[in-house]
Amino acid sequence: MKTGAWTNKAAAIAAATLTYAAATTTMAIADQTVRIGMVNSLTGPHSGFDLPASEGTLMAFHEINKKGGITVNGEKVTFEIVSEDAQSKPDVAVNAAQKILQNDDIRIVYGIMTSGPGMAAATLFSRSEVLYIGGFTLLDTLLGKPGGELMIRTLNSDAAVAQSFVPQSVKVLGVKKIGIILPNEDVSRSIVETYKPLLEKAGVEVPIVEYFQPSTTDFAPVLRKFQNQGLDGLFVGTNDAVVEAIVRQTTELGGLPKKFMYRGGSGAPGLKYKDQIEGFVWQILTRDLEFGDDPKVQEWKKAYTAFTGKEISPNTYWGLVYYDTVFMMAKAMEQVGSTDDVEAIAKAMKSMTYEGVRTMRFSEEGRARSDIDIGTLLNGKISSVRASAE
Amino acid sequence: MFIDVIQTMTDGLMIGGLYATVAVGITLVFGIMGILNFAHGQMVMLGAYVAFFFVTAGYGFWLGLAFAMLAMALLGLVMERAVFRFILTDHMGGLTVSLGIILIIENLAAAYFTPDHRNFDPPLKGGVELLGMQFSAQRLLVLALVLVLVTAFYLFLQKTRLGKAIRAMGQNRTGAALVGVQVGQVTAIVFALGSAMAGAAGALYGSLFAITPYMASGPLMKGFILTVLGGLGSVPGAVIAGFLLGIAESFGSRYLSASFRDGYGFILLIAALLLFPRGLFGFSGKEKV
Repeated sequence: MKTGAWTNKAAAIAAATLTYAAATTTMAIADQTVRIGMVNSLTGPHSGFDLPASEGTLMAFHEINKKGGITVNGEKVTFEIVSEDAQSKPDVAVNAAQKILQNDDIRIVYGIMTSGPGMAAATLFSRSEVLYIGGFTLLDTLLGKPGGELMIRTLNSDAAVAQSFVPQSVKVLGVKKIGIILPNEDVSRSIVETYKPLLEKAGVEVPIVEYFQPSTTDFAPVLRKFQNQGLDGLFVGTNDAVVEAIVRQTTELGGLPKKFMYRGGSGAPGLKYKDQIEGFVWQILTRDLEFGDDPKVQEWKKAYTAFTGKEISPNTYWGLVYYDTVFMMAKAMEQVGSTDDVEAIAKAMKSMTYEGVRTMRFSEEGRARSDIDIGTLLNGKISSVRASAE
Repeated sequence: MFIDVIQTMTDGLMIGGLYATVAVGITLVFGIMGILNFAHGQMVMLGAYVAFFFVTAGYGFWLGLAFAMLAMALLGLVMERAVFRFILTDHMGGLTVSLGIILIIENLAAAYFTPDHRNFDPPLKGGVELLGMQFSAQRLLVLALVLVLVTAFYLFLQKTRLGKAIRAMGQNRTGAALVGVQVGQVTAIVFALGSAMAGAAGALYGSLFAITPYMASGPLMKGFILTVLGGLGSVPGAVIAGFLLGIAESFGSRYLSASFRDGYGFILLIAALLLFPRGLFGFSGKEKV
C-alpha cells in the first residue's frame, strides 16, 4: 500500500520527468528526438483510469528508447514526452491541451480516458494539425466528421463491444428480464441506445431503464424501483465505485436480482461480493490481467511492475489502452519515413494490423477494432473469454 | 404501496441521519462559534479513512469509529490552535484558509491513499425483513448510532457546565468572557467536538458507501444546507433538517427522478427559507441551541 501510494504520487507529480529521463538515456546516440504530447488526468477522481493509461504509454516509449529508438529515413529517432495534468476537469484539460499545442514541434498527442475532460481537450485538438490518440467514449462522436480526420480512439466503441458482450453475457447468465441502471450522463443515453436493442434481439425483456445523479452514493431509493419486479438481472455502469455500491446495496435491500452485466470498469465490484451474488459479467476492453493465462499478458505484467514499481490492481488493465498504439505509431513513422507528417502516419496506422499484447487495428475513421476479453463470475467461479473484434 | 412508502421513508431517515451528523459538527463550529471551516468535509473524508484502516487492520468497526472520532478531534484541535483561532468570525479569512486546507488535505490524501475507491466490511451485513419490509441491517445500525450520538450531544450541550459555556459563547462571545468563560479554551474544545462529529460521520459513511479522497464535497454541501435550513446555531434544527433532507431525497428519487437527487435538497431549502427566513428552528431573538 505504502509503495503503491508513493509511486502513484511520483507518477502524478513527475510523469514527464520520468519519461524525460527515459528518453535522455538514449539521446546521446540518437540523431533526432521527437517530442510527443500527453494529456491525462493524473490527479482527481478520473486518475484511476488515466494514471495507469499514462504509465502504459510511458512504458511503451521507454521500451522503444531503451532499444535505441526507431529508424526513420536512416536516422535514429528517440522520443521525449511532454506531459500535462488535466486534473479530471474539463477547463484544466483545455489549459493542458493549450500548453501542449504551444509547442510547435509536438505533432502527436496521447491521452484522456474520460469524456468530460476528454471532449474539452479533443475539441481543441480537432482544430489543430495534431494527431490525437485518445480513449474516452465520446471521442467516437468526433470520428469520421470534419476535424476528426486526425483522431484515433484506441478502445472499441460501445457498438463494437456490445456485439460480442451482449450475447456472451445473456448466454452465461441465462437472463430473460433485466433492468438498466446508469448515471444520468450523455454517455449513458448512447449506452442504452446501443445495448437495449441488442438485449431485446437476444430475447431479453428490458422493462425498466433508470438514470441516477452521477454523484449518487445512496442507491436505495432508485433500487426500490427495481424491487420485486420479477427481474433476473441488472445492467449496470459505468465505473467501479458506482457499480460496487449498486451491487452491495442490492444484496442488502433484498428482492433484487443477483446477476449483473457491467458495462465498463473491472471485475472488482462483482468479485468482492461473489458469495452474495449469482453472476457478474464484465468487459475487459484491453486484456484480462487477473485471471487470464496469455503469455504476452504475463510478460507485460512483469514489465509493468518493474517499470512502475506497482503491483497489478483491478485498474491496471487501463495501462494497455495506448501501449500497443505507441508501437503502431512508431512503426507507421518508419513506414512513411517521417516523424511529423501526421496525415501519413495516421493513414499508415489505420491500414495496419498490429499483433501486440492486444491485437489492434483501426477503421478508416479511426475507430478501434480490437479483440476484447470478457470476464465472468458465475456461482463463485471466475473465468474470462476472448471475444473477436468482428 | 403503503409498504413501499414506509420503506422509502425509512431509507430517507437512514441517509438523513448521516447528513445530520455532519450538520451538527458544522452547526457547532459555524453556527455557534462563527468559524467558517469549509474543510469540515475533509474531516469527514479523513474520518472515513481512519475507520477504513482500523477495520482492514482487523481492529473492527467499533474501534475504528472511536479512533476516527478521536483522530479528527485531535486534528481539529491542532487546526484551531494553528490556524482558525487567528480568524475567528472573519468569514472571508475562514473561507480562504479552509480552501487552502482543502487543497492540501485532498491532494495529500489522493497521493498517499490513491484515488481508488475503498470500502470496509460493516459489522452487520445483508438485509433484514421487518413486517414484510426489506431493509439494510447496517443502515438500521447507522440510524440507531446517529440517534444515540446526536441525543448525547444535545444533552451534553443542555446539561453540562461546558455545554452551557458553549451556548453562552454562541449567544454573546464578549458577554460570556465577562462572566468568566475561558473563550479561547472553549473555542478549541468546540472545534475538537465538531471535528469529532465529522470523524463519526466519516466512519458511519464509510460503513455504507465508498471512500475516496474526493468524497468530501457532498457531505459538506449538505451540511451547510442543513445548518441554514435548521436555523443557524440550532442543533435540534440541524438534526431535523437532516432527516427532512434525507426523506426529501429518498421520496424524490423513488417517486420522481433519481437524476435530480441533490436538487430536492435545494428546493427544500428555498421553500423553507421562504416560509421561515431564519431556518426551521431559528429564533428572532439571540438565543441559540
